[in-house]
Amino acid sequence: MSGLFVAFATPHELETALPSLRCARLGTIETFTPTPVESGPSILPVLILAGGVLGALAGFTLQSYANVAAYPIDIGGRPYFSWPAFVPIAFENGVLAAILTGFFGYFIVNRLPRLYDPIDECEAMRRAMRDFWCVAIRTDNPARARQILRAHAPARIEELPA
Amino acid sequence: MVWGFAILNYVWWIAIASGGTFISALFYLTRSEWRSSINRIAESMTLFGAACAGIYPILHLGRPWLFYWLFPYPATMHTWPQFRSPLLWDFFAILTYVSASILFWYLGLLPDLATMRDRAQTRGSRIIYGSLAMGFRGSSAQWRHYQATYAVLAAIMAPLVCSVHSIVGLDFAGAATVGWHSTQFPPFFIFGAFLSGFATVLLLVIPLRRLLRLERYITGRHLDVLCRLMLTSSLFVGYAYIMDAFQAFYGSDRAELVEFTEKVWGYYSGIYWCTIVFNVLLPQLLWFRGIRMRQLVVLLISLGIVFGMWCERFTIVVVSLHRPRLPSSWGVYHATVWDWLTLAGTVGLFFTGILLVVRFLPVISMFELREQVAPRRSAP
Repeated sequence: MSGLFVAFATPHELETALPSLRCARLGTIETFTPTPVESGPSILPVLILAGGVLGALAGFTLQSYANVAAYPIDIGGRPYFSWPAFVPIAFENGVLAAILTGFFGYFIVNRLPRLYDPIDECEAMRRAMRDFWCVAIRTDNPARARQILRAHAPARIEELPA
Repeated sequence: MVWGFAILNYVWWIAIASGGTFISALFYLTRSEWRSSINRIAESMTLFGAACAGIYPILHLGRPWLFYWLFPYPATMHTWPQFRSPLLWDFFAILTYVSASILFWYLGLLPDLATMRDRAQTRGSRIIYGSLAMGFRGSSAQWRHYQATYAVLAAIMAPLVCSVHSIVGLDFAGAATVGWHSTQFPPFFIFGAFLSGFATVLLLVIPLRRLLRLERYITGRHLDVLCRLMLTSSLFVGYAYIMDAFQAFYGSDRAELVEFTEKVWGYYSGIYWCTIVFNVLLPQLLWFRGIRMRQLVVLLISLGIVFGMWCERFTIVVVSLHRPRLPSSWGVYHATVWDWLTLAGTVGLFFTGILLVVRFLPVISMFELREQVAPRRSAP
């Protein structure tokens, strides 16, 4: 399967070209842009919530185990299971776990780090994090794609590396 | 006196550090566009402020190599930490805050590191920025997850920073010491953090925008907004000082009254009045737009606030221990030359970090500004 790597000079041009490219059902289309162009759903908020809740529960359980079962200390006759005092650390543990989940989860979900990708061979990709709004079209019918693109006047068109 | 410079400088630094999180997390959630041009500087300030703060409690332990005793681990002696103590809460709060600040800062930097990689001229910088960017290419999936993750982490950072300062306040309030044992301490410390955080951001932003010629990005409007925030937090802090006096007189505890009069008229009263002048009275000048527009005056007011906040920490930590309940424990504290040199060392550490960031990383979030500028430029 061959393909095209197309660069536009503005996000607006890319946004107007995308629907017509999608309608033509050419193949897989992926954008590479210096600013987010389209928003969509992500699994990460759910993962972060799960990480945070698990972290808080783990922290609370550890504190209860340590101060009730493993090493009970009598502080002025207060109950060993004085749970309100365990809440702050449980909260901090939850936050730490949530942030670690979010940070590392982001890299895992995106399969990063990936320092090299064949798409980097495209000349215009050098400017994809600067001032080019790019789209990679993987298709069996590059001629059709070029025909559609003619109406949108992209700044560059390149062949995708195989 | 059991607490002195180590604790007061710790509290001072951690409050300075807070400014970055307030600006980058709180104002991200309120969708304040203006934050984009100063959040990188502010977050870097948080990073190194928290690092300076983190050094002090460890030095304060006296045997710093044993600090890991605070951590819950299956020790051979079968002992566990006392989890009901606010001092242990503080260990977890700082641990979480420092780690979270580093990760949040790095995540916010990721798209800019990718831009730096693509613009790098030399092989060395290509390798360094390329490795740091981790292969961020701006693909649609990368952006989609990025926006979701960043928003959620910002939403978590905002309550985190409040919890950290509440817990720092509880370090004091949890003790049955005169002048500390008060329910107002957690919010009082959050107010103080607001004030010193915004003051330090201004202290960094005003020279940086001049030296790096960033006037087009960090405009007078940014300074104006920061000044208003500083004035607001100064009023909060002023309220807390009034409540401090009110509680001393309204409560029937004679020791509290002795401690309060000592604070206002006693041996350390100069430091108390510096606090009032620099934190409450001087910032009132910011009511005037003419003053807010004068960068040099704002710079001096911010410097005054940073100094005033240090005086506040000194008063809180030292005066209470200077006049505790037992007259036999009354004493006078003076910092040693080593205390002063350690403080100078942390200031040096802070500025070293900030200058390294300014030298090697974009001081303004490029991709966030691009997001604001691009639609305006390409609008049909």
